[in-house]
Amino acid sequence: MAGLSLPYQVAAAVSLALIAALACVHLAVVFLHVAPSNTVTKQHGEAVDGWVYPEFEQNWKLFAPNPLQQNIAIQVRAEYTARDGSRSTSDWIDLSAQDGAQIRHNLLPSHIQQNQLRRAWDFYAGSHDTENRPQGPRGRLSESYMRRIVMLRLDRHDLGGRVERIRLRASTRAIEAPEWSHEKIDTRPVHRELPWWTVTAADLPGGVDNDRAATAR
Amino acid sequence: MKPDQDRQLARAVQLITSTALGPYQSAVVRIGFGATWLLFLLRELPHRHDLYGPDGPWSWDMGRELIAGNNAFSVLLWSDSALWFEFVYGVGVLSSLLMMLGWRTRAVSVLFMVGVLSLQNRSIFVGDGGDNVVHLMAVYLVLTRCAQVWSLDARRAARDRGPGPDRAGPVLWTVLGAMLFAGTVVGRVGGETWIFVLFWGLWVAHGLWWAVNRLAPDSEPRTLLDVLANLVHNAALVVIMAEVCLIYATAGWYKIQGSRWQDGTALYYPLKLDYFTPWPELSGLLTSGGVMVMLLTYGTVLVQVAFPFTLFNRRAKNVLLVLMMLEHAAIAVLLGLPFFSLAMIAADAVFLPTGFLVGLGALVVRGLSRLPGGRGARPQGRRGSDEQPRTLVG
Repeated sequence: MAGLSLPYQVAAAVSLALIAALACVHLAVVFLHVAPSNTVTKQHGEAVDGWVYPEFEQNWKLFAPNPLQQNIAIQVRAEYTARDGSRSTSDWIDLSAQDGAQIRHNLLPSHIQQNQLRRAWDFYAGSHDTENRPQGPRGRLSESYMRRIVMLRLDRHDLGGRVERIRLRASTRAIEAPEWSHEKIDTRPVHRELPWWTVTAADLPGGVDNDRAATAR
Repeated sequence: MKPDQDRQLARAVQLITSTALGPYQSAVVRIGFGATWLLFLLRELPHRHDLYGPDGPWSWDMGRELIAGNNAFSVLLWSDSALWFEFVYGVGVLSSLLMMLGWRTRAVSVLFMVGVLSLQNRSIFVGDGGDNVVHLMAVYLVLTRCAQVWSLDARRAARDRGPGPDRAGPVLWTVLGAMLFAGTVVGRVGGETWIFVLFWGLWVAHGLWWAVNRLAPDSEPRTLLDVLANLVHNAALVVIMAEVCLIYATAGWYKIQGSRWQDGTALYYPLKLDYFTPWPELSGLLTSGGVMVMLLTYGTVLVQVAFPFTLFNRRAKNVLLVLMMLEHAAIAVLLGLPFFSLAMIAADAVFLPTGFLVGLGALVVRGLSRLPGGRGARPQGRRGSDEQPRTLVG
């Protein structure tokens, strides 16, 4: 830079100032984004969000402040039309247990097994109230997403008939206290049941043919 | 200001304008993230439709509806055709491989970013912390000169001394420019405004760099462009380092507030979660002793909180770096999070000392040359900016 003539030196100096300022502002904003709610974010929260979302979003509260201390299993029962035309209702099918079985002794678990259903439930729970009423468009999207995941899994499960309606429940069971501790923890499962959902064509992801189940087998 | 302070400042300005610092560190980050994303994409190859495809559970219409609200960037929304999806996934795989190898890195790093953002933003509900790190680093790496060493670019630069015509560079530039132009005309580039500006800015800058190198290789405009590239690189490298510190600081400081981290039992719980116990026998063994769990629990918090501060002391920093990499290697197996761990190790690597990296590089080269039929790549030394390849785009 020293060998440059004055106009180029000025250009370089201005660039240096701008680039340094941009880097500092970016880091400051990302810091505010990961920091707890504070005086500055209470006043300028929107500006921070506007800068950070969608591409610089981050959440590093990994297992913090406390790790999850319960296993949440998503289970489904389906009402289907059997081959003879009669309606039957299946038992509860534990989809999370199927995920767990595929993760077991797997060096490279897939996002399909580890994240898809687990995070879809987080999405659902976060966009619905406790009465299972959807909160805004995200709530509606999450229901649709849930149904499509479930139909994909049921397709592989093969109930032997066309699925008409499905019902989900989340079975939450606290992790038992460590044997070396004196804590007492109730590990009986708590169920949150969702209403019955009628399955429509929009709930079938690619490759899932609900009618095939009724005729082919 | 005193004269010696004055001189120090001048020397610092001279350094950051004339040099793209941390050539080995930025290269190892590039290779690490290229490899992480490549392995991830290959692993998910059989599941790619269910994760990101137009007819997957998170359908194309649903993706579009969500992105209409947050304006995230994804070329997958340009079309819902299955062919387009396969093409984008293929470009993702190819760009990760080329990123790792450092082929035309200035252009390929942009493709890499496009690939990462397009897939991740298309289905945000299948990702985890590992995807998040890759996402951020894919953006930051675009701004770095991360192929100064350990890359095909560096090898080519060392080889052709003559001013022979470079074909691949201009072709790549033209093709990518045409695609960008088409996207702009149709109004379909999508994403935030800054992404659009970044793409065009990079394209213009790369064109300028090429032209200046050909027409006026020893001119002041070329020096100015070089200075700009160095400044942007150095700033991006600082941001990458600070980002890693923010990750550990956030992870650590929030843990301190948790009762389970305080009573020393926290580590027991993730090892009992059905979704994170691929090896229940191993997890059971590790959680069988209360003191052991407490030591690991406290150790985890200690290391995460302490790390940013140890940067002021080289030796302490290196010890902690080893500990963190070991912990991530353990997490890869114990919690079944290999890609998250790989991404974190790649991010940590930005703090590895140059001496160690150079040694590691020499070791790899020696290992390669011992392979049957392996010619072994020539070790590539650091190149001063005055002998930057003239033919390279950027």
